[in-house]
Amino acid sequence: MTGQRQADQALPVLARGLGKKYRRGWALREASLLIPKNRIVALVGPNGAGKSTLMGLVTGLLRPTTGEITVFGEHPTGKGLHPAVSYLAQQKPLYPQLTVAETLKLGARTNPTWDQRYAQYLIEQAAVPSGATVGTLSGGQRTRVALALALGKRPGLLLLDEPLADLDPLARETVLRTLITEARTQGITVVLSSHVLAELEGVCNHLVLLHKGRILLAGDVDRLGAGGTPLGQLALNRMREAAREDAA
Amino acid sequence: MIWVTWRLQRAQLITMLGLLIAGAGVIALLRSNMLEDLASTGLASCVTRTLDECSPAGAAKAFAESWSTSFDVARAVIIGLPALVGVFVGAPLFARELEQGTHVLAFTQSVSRTRWMFGKLLVALVPALVVLIVLQSLVSWWLSAAGILGPFMNGPFTAFNFGIEHVSPVGYALFAFALGTFLGVATRRTLVAMTAGLAAFVVVRLALSGLVDRLVPAQRLEVAPDQPMTVHQDGSLVLGDGWLDAAGQPVSSDKAAALIQACKSTPAGTSNTQEGYLACLPQSGLAKRYADFIPESHAWQVHLVDASIFGGLALLLLAGTAWALRRQS
Repeated sequence: MTGQRQADQALPVLARGLGKKYRRGWALREASLLIPKNRIVALVGPNGAGKSTLMGLVTGLLRPTTGEITVFGEHPTGKGLHPAVSYLAQQKPLYPQLTVAETLKLGARTNPTWDQRYAQYLIEQAAVPSGATVGTLSGGQRTRVALALALGKRPGLLLLDEPLADLDPLARETVLRTLITEARTQGITVVLSSHVLAELEGVCNHLVLLHKGRILLAGDVDRLGAGGTPLGQLALNRMREAAREDAA
Repeated sequence: MIWVTWRLQRAQLITMLGLLIAGAGVIALLRSNMLEDLASTGLASCVTRTLDECSPAGAAKAFAESWSTSFDVARAVIIGLPALVGVFVGAPLFARELEQGTHVLAFTQSVSRTRWMFGKLLVALVPALVVLIVLQSLVSWWLSAAGILGPFMNGPFTAFNFGIEHVSPVGYALFAFALGTFLGVATRRTLVAMTAGLAAFVVVRLALSGLVDRLVPAQRLEVAPDQPMTVHQDGSLVLGDGWLDAAGQPVSSDKAAALIQACKSTPAGTSNTQEGYLACLPQSGLAKRYADFIPESHAWQVHLVDASIFGGLALLLLAGTAWALRRQS
């Protein structure tokens, strides 16, 4: 029993019967989910499937309407984010009036686990001038700065909401490679959301497929793909099935 | 955390410092000009006397005419500063972050939302209060130098004098600031918080302006009909006055007016003499005149009560702000 609880505490995300209802309707229903450690998770679904809502519930920015969720064994609350969790929202919020160096200083001042050398390394690698004001950077450069801020915290769970949306193909590859290296060497769990499965297919080893607020598929990629069907085909089949059920 | 909030509010803090320096310079200049004016017109000695002893009388009138606008502007600035603190410092503090989505950045670092909130409140509020207190003290220093030739001659209780003295401005500023931050968090819109905050502040400030007088214990002065009521001239705040009958009970004002009118003429119908009039009053049941008042020397009590009312409202609003910020949507 104690062993079970300790195992639960070590789990990055554990959700049972999780649901979130907004004024306009349910964004997530009866989601039961277990994300194990050391995974690169692809959170995939069409627009409006509930990906951002799920991430909001993990970070504690949103409160579940039904069910419960634990992150490293703790319920996310409105007090603040779990210290081992980093989150990069879809809009990549950064203070536009700060310089890149000042943005890193903000990270250093607000996170006890901050690794300044690593964050600076990530900025140098992205070739973003550290004296530039964030407001003057391009979309891709802003993403790199936001990523450095999220990774500099040295998280155990990194949540990235549509991180690749405003990157060019070359930068996508670099960012993904950085993330994989980081995840493998530091043993962190990365959750990447996207509405395009193809861009994550070769990268992730765990898949969570969302459709209209419900989890259609969840599990390790090698187990899901054991039948020989390619992952993209599998996901598409499940979504067609769900659409037929809706119609019926 | 303090560094972060300081850096984010740097432009605003520099603006406030600029305002403080410019304001202090202007006030010091005006004061020295005024003192020169007093010396050159021979009014310097009038400052501490009563107006009747002052000579030459024409010079005092000319002085009042040339300086009254400056005095009024200075007092209006101190009256208006708390509202500006609420509109430009309080309202945008959280509203701008919520509007631009940067609060998500703050909420996803390893700092609790409460600490983030207190850091921001502190860095915004303390400098604003310092600017207010320094300018208030300088204006007071300047107006006091004019003595009875300046606006303080009317006593501490006139609306424009009361609002710029002692702890009252700080109380108003705390309230305006807290109102701005609360509306900012509640509406998540900077412009809405600024305008609604200003309107709500003005309404509450005016609505509560009479309340404070009733919360400080008043003194009662009773005088014989032929004695002067000094409280009307010495700067006291008169809350009520009228007539008492022989038993010491107040006489209603309508009845008193009728009795006074009756005493002004003799039974024969001719106009009464002053002695006859004064003798008639006690016979008709108007034994004494009375006034309930707060003396000038107790003005500080009224200021303290005033500041605690507005300070208490500010605390409630800040608690509401904290609650709204920690609430998960």
